[in-house]
Amino acid sequence: MAREASTIKTRNRLNRGDGGWAYAFIAVALVVYAMFTAYPVISAFIISFQNYQPLGSTYVGFENYENVFKSALFWKAMGNTVIYTLLTVPVALLLSFGVAILIMPLRKWMQTSFKAIYYLPAVASGVALSVVWLWIFDPMQGGILNQLLGAFGIPSQNWLGSSSTSMFSLVLMSWLSSHGTSIIIYVAALLGIDNSYYEAADIDGASFLQKMWHIVIPCLKPTTLFLLVTGVIGSFQVFQNAYLMTGGGPDHSTTMVGLLIFDTAFKYFEFGDAAAQSLVLALVIAIMAFVQFKFLGKDVEY
Amino acid sequence: MTKRSRLTASVLALTVAAGVLGACGSNNGNEPAGNAAGNTGGEGAAAAKDTITALLPPVSANFQANFKQMETEFNKQYPNLTLKIEPASWEDMTQKLDTQVNAGSPPDIAFMGSEGIAKYVPMGMVMDIKDVVTPEMIADFDEGPLKYMYNGEGLFGFPAYMEVHAIGGNKPFLEEAGIDWKKIQQSGWTFDEFREAIKKGVVKEGDTTKRYGFVFATAGVTSKDYLGILVKNAGMPAAFDKDLKYAYTSKNYLTLLTNIRQMIDDGSMPKELSSIDAGKRWNMFLTGQTMITGKGMAVFENSSRLNNEKLDANDGSAVKDSIKTDYVVLPVPSFAGQPAVANAIVDGYVTFRGKKEPTAEHKANVAKAAYFLASGQVAATTNSELFSAPITKSSREAMKSIESKQSDYNKAAVEHLLSTAAPARPDIPAELAAKAIKLETEVIVPKLQSLLAGETTPEKMYEDVKKAAIDTFGADGVVQD
Amino acid sequence: MGLYNNHLGNSLLKSARNAVIIILLLLFALATLFPIYFMIISSFGDPIEAGAVSYSIWPEKFSLESYKFFFNYSEYSYRWLANSLLVATVTMVSNVVFATMAGYAFAKISFRGSKVLFAILLGAMMIPYQVTQVPLYILIVNVFDISNTYRALIAPSLVTVYNIFLAKQFMSSIPKEILESAKVEGCSQFQILTRIVMPLSKTVMAVMAILTFMESWNTFFWPFLVTNTMDMQTIQVGLKNFRFANTTYFAPMMAGATVSALPMFILFFSLQKYFLEGVTVGAVKG
Repeated sequence: MAREASTIKTRNRLNRGDGGWAYAFIAVALVVYAMFTAYPVISAFIISFQNYQPLGSTYVGFENYENVFKSALFWKAMGNTVIYTLLTVPVALLLSFGVAILIMPLRKWMQTSFKAIYYLPAVASGVALSVVWLWIFDPMQGGILNQLLGAFGIPSQNWLGSSSTSMFSLVLMSWLSSHGTSIIIYVAALLGIDNSYYEAADIDGASFLQKMWHIVIPCLKPTTLFLLVTGVIGSFQVFQNAYLMTGGGPDHSTTMVGLLIFDTAFKYFEFGDAAAQSLVLALVIAIMAFVQFKFLGKDVEY
Repeated sequence: MTKRSRLTASVLALTVAAGVLGACGSNNGNEPAGNAAGNTGGEGAAAAKDTITALLPPVSANFQANFKQMETEFNKQYPNLTLKIEPASWEDMTQKLDTQVNAGSPPDIAFMGSEGIAKYVPMGMVMDIKDVVTPEMIADFDEGPLKYMYNGEGLFGFPAYMEVHAIGGNKPFLEEAGIDWKKIQQSGWTFDEFREAIKKGVVKEGDTTKRYGFVFATAGVTSKDYLGILVKNAGMPAAFDKDLKYAYTSKNYLTLLTNIRQMIDDGSMPKELSSIDAGKRWNMFLTGQTMITGKGMAVFENSSRLNNEKLDANDGSAVKDSIKTDYVVLPVPSFAGQPAVANAIVDGYVTFRGKKEPTAEHKANVAKAAYFLASGQVAATTNSELFSAPITKSSREAMKSIESKQSDYNKAAVEHLLSTAAPARPDIPAELAAKAIKLETEVIVPKLQSLLAGETTPEKMYEDVKKAAIDTFGADGVVQD
Repeated sequence: MGLYNNHLGNSLLKSARNAVIIILLLLFALATLFPIYFMIISSFGDPIEAGAVSYSIWPEKFSLESYKFFFNYSEYSYRWLANSLLVATVTMVSNVVFATMAGYAFAKISFRGSKVLFAILLGAMMIPYQVTQVPLYILIVNVFDISNTYRALIAPSLVTVYNIFLAKQFMSSIPKEILESAKVEGCSQFQILTRIVMPLSKTVMAVMAILTFMESWNTFFWPFLVTNTMDMQTIQVGLKNFRFANTTYFAPMMAGATVSALPMFILFFSLQKYFLEGVTVGAVKG
């Protein structure tokens, strides 16, 4: 296919004969994608119209979707997910951007050390870390966080066991453990900014803030867009934290859509419903991603 | 030049892609893994070769270490059969099994609680072995536990053990509080007696509680156990009554919820109860922070004894800050004037089938393997490690050679509890059971968590459960008293 | 670095600024590192059962017994590490190569269908994996019949959309002029990719390598699903084997987690020079 496309293209002008190359470059990605991503997604789409049974499914039309839209729990989970996303993603972006900027003027060995430090939480196994977080949120007076707050005279909290603090606990956990990746990506992007921009700005006598506003922020736009989109996607699909830490409780205060889908599929064996929930979630995510691209991506040059 | 390298790139890319495809596709013609091996194997002579797969968690401490030996033993007994055991941890095995079931290729045998069978019956993925088991196999099992492996008319595997999930106390503390535990072991107690007892068990130093009367693990999913164990003693031995009406709308349910809250408000249970997990409460038991703990199983006597030995050895291997404890099996109190009904748990080797209809040959082989695991030496080892009484004649025989470290009074207490256990309910249709599970996960457990955290009242929770139950089963499908 | 004014003239002021920055970073580092710190000090505790958790902030003892316990737990402990290493390395290399190629194509070559194809790729990222995992499992285990093989562990993540997206976003900031002038000089796209784009993208390739390795190394569920025997399990699945019905050996588990974090740390340090120096267009031109 690549071959054929390229022969057609070479008849055009020299610098337009690149389509074949492009297809060659994306060939492997497309094949892998088609087999291991597209096929399961299409399967899920078909299942969402079925009463799925391993020994023979039956077509049920839009019944699964009706169940999803009628379910109060689904909307509650969606609400929780939105709250979680609003509380985590922007903070994560600001924190990692701030850290990346602050790291820049330091000496090299210090840069390395700090990056290594922030990178550490990302390398440790999530399962092992969740055990440590359970210790931190231990509700008794001897719990780590309660000990810490006790030193300031703040009474013990039932962190994960009370619906007033359970969501906050998960958010706090995310604030303190998931920046390694974004910091590394931001630092890499900062290093990619050509020095000549700064030199020109220096000649114009630009201040630090002016340079930030006119050079750094525009140059980092593609990176920010990437982190925002993937961050929102990740946050909307968040599953592991709630699954390992609270199981969605108490009283569904931390039930996120990801967890609900898991429960629907594996606790109740309503695979069709679970597929419908996933696709509704995917649609919501897609709309948000589209909005983000529209507003942030419009002056990013492709 | 340009053209050639472009070609090279395309070829390179496509080769890799083809390599992936080819590598994966090369086995395309083969049968699916798992059950299929058995399906194809069984048609020839009687002794045709067959492989049986089993997904097994660490049932008892040394269970997984014995897998190799079990496989060899089985092969010795049936030279044409191979048993392939796949290990998994408790938490993960349900998920793995469920993915395999949904994909239509589960293992032949999986270890799980008998109540789990109902979940797989509607999709037809569990395999009825009633027609292929021999009378000798059936005769080997005690009738009570075996019944748990039935659903409707079908037999879906063999039971490994039957044990009681109750509560347990620390003997010196019980005696300190003036509780006649020996009498209670045999004749039980009412909630009012229990409430007074655990009040006496509390030890305070100023405003801080040094020791609680009663701590039960209720964090996350374990809250299901808490309510499940108590509710049986409040006149509701199962989620459905004899007429298959949903039971948890009865007034007794409200009484139970009120009592649950009272124990916390009395200060006998910690107010942080809703986030205490299984590990934490056992730690509290060993370190003397609670007099009574739950859920309690007979094997805890052994854990307590082992820790005492470590304390004696004084080599720093005992649990930090722990003291000597002496585990006493205790019955759960009875609520609302109802009879005490022990929560009997039967776990066993459940038999599954794949997408293809299994041959009679393969079915029989799977039954043989399940029987092998659930009886004789294998069962004897498991049962003695768990301090649970054997439930087959053959394992009772095999167990004679194993020395029991269980104390006589606890053994007697468990036997007494088993005699009050709720009978199996194979008559509850799978669809009703599935709805009840959904109601429990979506409404009861979350509301119970808020009740324990003090965020809702017993009355409010009762109303919420009742409303959800009526929505699910209809006003005629629930108990109204 | 040009962002900060290095010729403030006043070196005292500069040191003061850096001191403030360092304090800020240290404070944040302290909070971030706490769980890890706790994991590591717990790993030096004795290999005793659940409940032996000590919440003291300072290490009470330094014993390697739990590490021994971890490696003695199963004859496959080393094999788990080796499996993870193999799977993560292959995944990393294939992702870097193919995602870079695809990212470049999407970022800088205009070809028919590029926008649509990219949107389709991105779209699939939005479907939660809980639901796609069963069809994927059916594909790998029932259709291809390759359960319990390295192919099953590696194939689904040979190249991920995340990485393609990452590469595309980074490469979009490479100035068009350079690529155009290369073309005028007669370079084919393949030469542009290998001689110009790749050297300019060392940073993002290193980032991709690290992130992919980390993702693959830490993934638990998929290897758990497709392996049937202990000798094919990865370290994350092995770590989970540690858990027992009611008792958990916390210290050895933390020891295992610490051991399993080491290879990623080594990889980080061996690739860090690429993040640190960065690659500027000027450097290539000059």
